[in-house]
Amino acid sequence: MSLIELRNVSKIYRTGNLEVAALSDLSLTFAAGEFAVLAGPSGSGKTTALNLIGCLDQPTSGQVLLEGRDMGEAKPKELADFRLQHIGFIFQSYNLIPVLTAAENAEFTLMLKGVPHVKRRQRVEQLFEELGISGLEDRKPADLSGGQQQRVAIARAMAAEPHVILADEPTANLDSRTAEELLALMRDLNNRRGTTFLFSSHDDRVIAQARRVIRLEDGCLHDDTGPLS
Amino acid sequence: MLFRLASRNLWRNRRRTLLTLSAMVISASLLILALGVFSGMFEDMLASATEQYSGHMVLANPEYHKRRDMFAALPEQVAENPALLQATAIKGRSPRLRSFGLLSRDDSSQPAEVMGIRPELERQVTALHTKIVDGSYLVDDDPHGIVLGEGLARKLKLAIGDEVVFVTQAADGSIGNDLLYVRGIFATGDSRNDNSLVLADLLWLQTTLVMDGKIHEVAMSVGDPMQAAAIADKLNRQLPAETEVLDWGDLLPEMREVIATYDVSRMIFVSILYMATGLGILNTFFMSVMERTREFGILMAQGMRPWTVRWLVMLETLLMGCIALLIGLALGVLMTLFMATVGIDLSGHITPVTYAGGTILPRLHAVFEMSNFTVPAFMLLLVCLVAGFLPANRAARLDPVVAIREE
Repeated sequence: MSLIELRNVSKIYRTGNLEVAALSDLSLTFAAGEFAVLAGPSGSGKTTALNLIGCLDQPTSGQVLLEGRDMGEAKPKELADFRLQHIGFIFQSYNLIPVLTAAENAEFTLMLKGVPHVKRRQRVEQLFEELGISGLEDRKPADLSGGQQQRVAIARAMAAEPHVILADEPTANLDSRTAEELLALMRDLNNRRGTTFLFSSHDDRVIAQARRVIRLEDGCLHDDTGPLS
Repeated sequence: MLFRLASRNLWRNRRRTLLTLSAMVISASLLILALGVFSGMFEDMLASATEQYSGHMVLANPEYHKRRDMFAALPEQVAENPALLQATAIKGRSPRLRSFGLLSRDDSSQPAEVMGIRPELERQVTALHTKIVDGSYLVDDDPHGIVLGEGLARKLKLAIGDEVVFVTQAADGSIGNDLLYVRGIFATGDSRNDNSLVLADLLWLQTTLVMDGKIHEVAMSVGDPMQAAAIADKLNRQLPAETEVLDWGDLLPEMREVIATYDVSRMIFVSILYMATGLGILNTFFMSVMERTREFGILMAQGMRPWTVRWLVMLETLLMGCIALLIGLALGVLMTLFMATVGIDLSGHITPVTYAGGTILPRLHAVFEMSNFTVPAFMLLLVCLVAGFLPANRAARLDPVVAIREE
C-alpha cells in the first residue's frame, strides 16, 4: 500500500465567475521513505498539491488517499487530528509563533498530542542537538536568523515523528549556503529515520538534491523520474 | 502551554490591551461603587421608614391598622405574648400608645403626634435615640419629659427645659391636657417625623387618655428586615384573631415596590454599562484575530482542532476578564470602603427627599452587600465570554489554506 496516493485529482479555484484550474487530473503515488520534490514554475500547482496531500484542502474531483484512507469526506476535526498524527509542515516563511520560544515552538505539536512536559523537552533537546541549534531553546523567533528559524521549523515538523513531512519552498528565503546545509540535514534525517520528505521548489540546486523529481506545469504532470526501487 | 500562549498573546499589543483592560476595570469598579451607593440609599430609605418610626413589624388590632381608631386598643400584656417571646428573630418589642393633638407654648400651637413609649424598650426597635441633636433621650420614670423633632421645636421656638402644654381628646370624651418639659430634640432628616413627632412616657399618656393598661401597637425589630414578611406571616398564624402583625412592606407598600424593583433596575444598569464594555472587548479581539489570521492557519496546519483554536481566543478574553475583575474588585472595594466610612455630605447642596414612605438623605454613602460584588463580577466574565465568542468563532472557522496565504 502506498503512503500517499493521488487519483485523478483536480482542483479548481473560483473567483467570482472566473474558474482557475490549479490541478488537472493529477495521479501520483508516494511510498514511505521517499525524498521527493514537486518542481515547476510559479502557478504550476506545487503548493496546491502539497495542500491536498497535507489535508489542508479538498480536491474538486478525484481522491487523495493517505495510508489507504480517503480523506475526501473527513470533517475539519478529523483532518486536524490526521495532520497532528501523521503530517509535519515546513513553510517558506518559517511561520514560527512569535510569542513562543524556539523550544516551545518545536514542542507545540507534542503539546497538542498530550505528551507530558518533561518528555516534550527531552525530545526537543535531542532534535535541537541533531539540527545543530542547541543553546537556542529559550530564544524568541525574532532573535534567530532565517536559517536558525527554519531549523526550529524542521524540529517542530519532526517533533511528533510524523510519517511524512511536507515542505513548501523551504529554502526560498535562505541564502544558498544555508539552503544547502538545510537540504543536507533533511536528507540526512530521511536516511537515518526513514521519514518521508516531500517538498516543492523551483530552485535547480534544491531539485538536484532530490531522489525523485516530479515536474508540474499548469497543474498537470509533466515529468516524473519515478520512485526509487 | 495553551494558557501560556494565551497569556503571551494578550500582551502582544500592550497598548491596546491596556486600553481595553482599563475600560473594563473602570466600568467594573465604578459599577461596584454605584451599586454600593444605591444600596446605601435604599438602606437609608428603609431605615428612615422603619428604624425611625414604625419598626420592621407592627402588631395591632386590625381595626387600628385600618382606621387609626383610638378605641381599637389592646391590653399592654399583648407585648408579652408567648408567640412573640419565642420568636428568636424578633430583636426588640416596644409597646406604644398614640395620640394626636395640639402642642402649645405661649401663644403658638402646632399639631403633633404624641407617642407614648417605654424608652428602654423603644431603643430596641427604633434608632431615634441616636438622632438626638440637643439635650438627651427620654429615660424611664420621667412622666413629664418629652423628646420632639427639630422642625416642631423650631416652629414652637422650644429649647431644652422649656415647658409646653399638650391638649388632646381622651378616651372617655373629656379633654386631656398636661404640662410637659422638653428633654431632647431629635433630627432624623425625615420631615414627617421632625415636624410632628413627640415621644413621651407611655404611662403618662395612658393616664392622660384615660386608657390605663392599653396600647395601640407593639412595634418590633428583626435581624434581617428582608425576612420581616415571612416572620409576620408566621406570627399571624400563632396569634389570636384580634391582633394582626403587619411588616414594613404592608405598612409601606410603595417602599416594598421600590425595593422589589431594585434588583431589576440593577440588572438593567449593569447590562447597559457592560454592553459598552463588551463592544470594546469585541473590537479588541476581532482586531487581534484579524492580525493573527496567518498564525491561526499555521496552528491548524499543525493539527490544532478548530475547537482548540476557539478555546485559545476565549481563554485570552477570559484571562483579560479575570485580570480586569481582580483589579476592578480591589478598586471597587476600596472606593466602596471609602464611601461607607467617609461618604460625601451633600446637606449644604440638597435637602432630604421623602419618597415611597422613606427618606433619601442628602448624603452619598455606600454599604457592603455581597450581591453588589458578585453581580458585576459574574456579568463581567459573562460579557467577556459573549464578546470573545464571535472573534473566537471566526478564528475557529478559518480555512487553513486561505489563512496561511494571508499576509
